[in-house]
Amino acid sequence: MAIVESVMRWLADPAHWQGSDGIPTRLVQHVQLSGESVAIGALIALPIGIGLGHFGRFGNLAINISNVGRAVPSFGILVLAFQVFGLGDLPIVIALTALAIPPMVTNSYVALREVDPDVKDAARGMGYRRWAQLLRIELPLAVPLIMAGVRTSAVQVVATAALAALIAGGGLGRYIIDGLAQQDYTKEFAGALLVAALALATEALLWGLQQLLVPRGIRLLQVPASRRATTFKTA
Amino acid sequence: MIRKTGSMWLTAALAVIVTVAACGGTSSPGTTSKGTLTVAGFNFPESSILAELYGQALAHDGYTVNYKLLLGTREVVAPAIKSGQIDLYPGYAATELEYYNGGAGEATGDATATTAKLNGHLQSLGLEALTPSAAVDQNAFAVTKATQAKYSLTKLSDLAPIGNELVLGAGPECPTRPFCEPGLKTTYGITFKDFKALDTDGPLTRAAFKNGTIQVGLVFSSDADLNALGLVVLQDDKHLENADNVVPIIRQTVATSEVTSVLNKIDAGLTTADLVTMNGQVELLHQDADAVAAAYLQQHNFFS
Amino acid sequence: MAAPIFLDIVDPWVNWDWLSTHIPTVLAALGQHVTLTAIAVAGGLAISLPLGIAANRWPNLHLRPAELAVFGGFYTIPSIALFALLIPYTGLGTVTAEIPLIGYNVLILLRNILVGLDAVPRDVIDAANGMGYRPLARLLRIELPLALPAIFAGLRVATVSTIGIVTITAVIGLGGLGQLIYKGLIESFHTPLVVATVLSILLALVADVALAGVGRLAVPWSRGA
Repeated sequence: MAIVESVMRWLADPAHWQGSDGIPTRLVQHVQLSGESVAIGALIALPIGIGLGHFGRFGNLAINISNVGRAVPSFGILVLAFQVFGLGDLPIVIALTALAIPPMVTNSYVALREVDPDVKDAARGMGYRRWAQLLRIELPLAVPLIMAGVRTSAVQVVATAALAALIAGGGLGRYIIDGLAQQDYTKEFAGALLVAALALATEALLWGLQQLLVPRGIRLLQVPASRRATTFKTA
Repeated sequence: MIRKTGSMWLTAALAVIVTVAACGGTSSPGTTSKGTLTVAGFNFPESSILAELYGQALAHDGYTVNYKLLLGTREVVAPAIKSGQIDLYPGYAATELEYYNGGAGEATGDATATTAKLNGHLQSLGLEALTPSAAVDQNAFAVTKATQAKYSLTKLSDLAPIGNELVLGAGPECPTRPFCEPGLKTTYGITFKDFKALDTDGPLTRAAFKNGTIQVGLVFSSDADLNALGLVVLQDDKHLENADNVVPIIRQTVATSEVTSVLNKIDAGLTTADLVTMNGQVELLHQDADAVAAAYLQQHNFFS
Repeated sequence: MAAPIFLDIVDPWVNWDWLSTHIPTVLAALGQHVTLTAIAVAGGLAISLPLGIAANRWPNLHLRPAELAVFGGFYTIPSIALFALLIPYTGLGTVTAEIPLIGYNVLILLRNILVGLDAVPRDVIDAANGMGYRPLARLLRIELPLALPAIFAGLRVATVSTIGIVTITAVIGLGGLGQLIYKGLIESFHTPLVVATVLSILLALVADVALAGVGRLAVPWSRGA
């Protein structure tokens, strides 16, 4: 197909790898926006989800946060952020963080809830205090599902960050939006491929991280799909 | 268990019925219509107003009109009309010419001559440009009052020596448009420090002026809010921008004498001052483009 | 320093005047949004069901990895790019919007259908075979009903996802509530933006709750999803 050829040529062109509109610059911007959003989101979401799950409180709230969060349209939230905060990275990071939080809250809540009560009993019986129980018993067991939530968030943030270009943001989405305005299909397609590749790389990287963090000898907890925030697409 | 699965299939049937009902769609008007036309507009409010003017007048005349407003830049709208997905859009003579002739530099300050050359290029595409209006909306480059004071600027030539200290902001299509960044370079010798892709004379550009991200920005000469925003347009002393008179671009197959006479009548009475007024109503007072257009047509007795 | 006076957006976040005079516009956008979503979810289900059933039924054909790879790859491509790239081929209408939407939903639903069918206990299948069920009857009367909770979970995610992504189609002139969001952006006008965003959230929540309810009705024998 002709367009595939021209995209390959576009990607191979050294001119597209230099300067303020070059692929490395845009890639760094994209990773920065996404990374900041997921990190801040995790700092907010994980303690909430883990706390709620550990104490078994407000379960409905935790699940409902996820429901409402999934329901927020990314385009709407980006434009709102622009109208409140103006131009720059701040509105983009705020909007993306808002989108990143829900899956992480739900998954960490469900992860803590699913820890086998027998294990918690045994730990208490062995003399573990509250904090030690949480940190040494419950969290390691909960890691697979928590990481699944982080992964889901991260992949969606990377995809949605492509929309940041609509409010004059940088990142790989610039190629898509500029290509659309200039009717340069090659640039558009190349941008789309780059974003897709980054999303896949993010998924792979975080999956690798998850493997490192899961203690040996733990089987993946079988949480029913109906309660997991496994798939989630915002852009 | 076997009986209970009946409820599952009932649910499925219900879902299908609801879906089909939702797809029921709009019923077409049973009245005799003279034909259907799709009118499109560019992604800025003035284009919506012009599209509504054309569309409502044609609807009053008995046509069924569909709208595709805020469709995009010319780079999106032109392919759409070439492929017949839309029938009509309000164009600007000089910029249309330089788009359809591949940037050959044929446009002049003479609207009639420019439109004639434009028709020369449109003919083979099955398109036609009608009679240009007296109303003009050109690309204009503005700076903030502060920047103007700092560098003592009155005209675009003044930017040539200091271009490398300034950032230009415009829609993403600007670096590829002959009347935009490339034109500033070849006609005025201005090379900017950087270009920021924002929007076509929209909120992003205004916000960028406000927070100092850009010092020079693309605006439209018929904008209503430039003064209120503290922006000053620099004079186009070397005439980079040419006769951007409003002119309908229409597909030949729908350009019947009745349609063209309706459109030409509107354009004959339209002035630049009208554009500025209507832009103000939409941009500053948040009135709807269709309401503003309707009021204009009413006032000028198009609905009688 | 004498700063120039810029025109700040001084209008309120919701201009109730505008809203009360624009109810038909808002409702039309909402209706269009619902239609686009319904087609996308129904289409996604129509494609993912046979694909999922086939992958489950004939594991030796290795359909599962192929299907997940194809639709999984499609899923990673940002919707805005797909919409824009399809326009020259499929035009400015519903088809252009629906192809990516349906494609995304196929992946979401396929994953859940596979999980659901996989979760049918082996002994139930054996018992059904022992009772004389042919494969098709077993599928329709035993396996699919047991997979319903997972399928409904997938329908809920697909629907909520779709409602959000439909708003993006406004950037290329298609419809739904996204047009009001885009209008709010271009005209620096808060109200249509806020109204459309809130309605989009409400629509998604209502759809989620409704599907959860229908899901519970459809599986009276299970303890609820």
